[in-house]
Amino acid sequence: MKAFVWGFQDRSFLTAAAVSVQRIVIGYLISVFLGVALGLLIGRFKILDETLGSLMLGLQVLPSICWLPLAILWFGLSEQAIQFVVVMGAFLSIAIATDSGIRNISPIYVRAAKTMGVQGFALYRRVIVPAALPSIITGMKLGWSFAWRSLMAGELLFVSVGLGQLLQTGRELHDIAQVVAVMMMIAAIGLVFDRLIFAELEKRIRLKWGV
Amino acid sequence: MTSGKSSEIRVSIESITKTFQAAQGPVLALDEISLQIKPGEFICFVGPSGCGKTTLLNMIAGLEQPSKGKIKQDGQLISGPGISRVVIFQEAALFPWLNVIQNVEFGLVGRMDAKKRREIAKTFLHLVHLGKFEKAYPHQLSGGMKSRVAIARALVLNPSILLMDEPFAALDAQTRGLLHEELQDISQKTKQTIIFVTHNAREAVRLADRVLIFTARPGKIKAEIPIEVPKPRDLTDPDWPTSYIRKIESLLREEIEKVLKEEVDDEWTLKKADLLRPAGLDLGSGI
Repeated sequence: MKAFVWGFQDRSFLTAAAVSVQRIVIGYLISVFLGVALGLLIGRFKILDETLGSLMLGLQVLPSICWLPLAILWFGLSEQAIQFVVVMGAFLSIAIATDSGIRNISPIYVRAAKTMGVQGFALYRRVIVPAALPSIITGMKLGWSFAWRSLMAGELLFVSVGLGQLLQTGRELHDIAQVVAVMMMIAAIGLVFDRLIFAELEKRIRLKWGV
Repeated sequence: MTSGKSSEIRVSIESITKTFQAAQGPVLALDEISLQIKPGEFICFVGPSGCGKTTLLNMIAGLEQPSKGKIKQDGQLISGPGISRVVIFQEAALFPWLNVIQNVEFGLVGRMDAKKRREIAKTFLHLVHLGKFEKAYPHQLSGGMKSRVAIARALVLNPSILLMDEPFAALDAQTRGLLHEELQDISQKTKQTIIFVTHNAREAVRLADRVLIFTARPGKIKAEIPIEVPKPRDLTDPDWPTSYIRKIESLLREEIEKVLKEEVDDEWTLKKADLLRPAGLDLGSGI
């Protein structure tokens, strides 16, 4: 507990948390954007599915931290390297969930929409994506937890400001209190986002769909 | 009764054939169907499962293409789906992420401003007696209510042709009866051309101007029965319904038996052979 107070007095906890959270929000938003886009493209163009499908599944199994050495080689010891690791951790699972969501849409929705004169891009925007939304949100939830984990792993190994770094410092200084305090903070942030954002989204979907 | 000039043809089905590619090889679903439908007519397609009546409906809607032959609406070839031929499906197919009023106005989005759209949607929702349920979500509605919303959603677009694929099949008899009355009411007012698929003879006799009976696969038109009884019709009347219903049911039964024989026949032969074995043998296997 003392470590907490000391850490907050020192502003170091807050700064570190702010940096970590900022990193993950950026990385995560990029992941969502890329993931949903890729999922939609794979669903739409069969040839993409045939070429990229198995590649995606294979890459998704790779623990995201394995991307760090490559990221450092490509981007150097920079913010981009960490962002790269975060994105690689998250966007594939989002893409796979999006694709799966689209495949599992009852085809009758699409036919009904077509007879009402909806086609092309509007069909995607108004029918296919909303119908796949529950699956997409599940994928986003999964992607979030991958992203948070990737970020922490990245911050631990690659020294820069952030919660991961605080963890490292605590270890180097043999300061158990600090280590535990930071761990609690990391868990707390993850929980807050989960409750605030994802639980809300899922509740809204459940209200509408009745599932 | 049909409205409009008797020389006008709303839908022209010309020698339609449809072949599907199945695992075992090509399957002939529909065999040289030809039919002319006048504006304002209420036509029922009746037939056993697999006879192709739904396929034909889908082709008129433009959701599927014939293998041979042409389907025309008002003289124009039908090449794809469109709002002048709206389909109401068996499962209502209401969009679960939209509430009732949003579902009803779905086809109008982008065609007019929001206020006008909402007004029109409300009018039609009231027409099907669901005015109070604007903000409800589909999962909160009963089967009958979903069907009514689906009807409102289709009517809002004022389609020239309304296609209905066994829309009341999943409902209980009472609800179906109520919906028949509502549908008759509505069709009297809007005078649309309606093509209705069912395998319920009573439903057909209640609603149709003409009943077309399809054979088992490959589907051909087995019989065409015009019903020249003025609407609204009362099926409890002792005089006229029985002969019509009997006729349709017996023709239908002939075709259904053909389908059953095809599906069950092999098993039948097996069972007969078992029974012919001497009593001493163990009858446990093969049953």
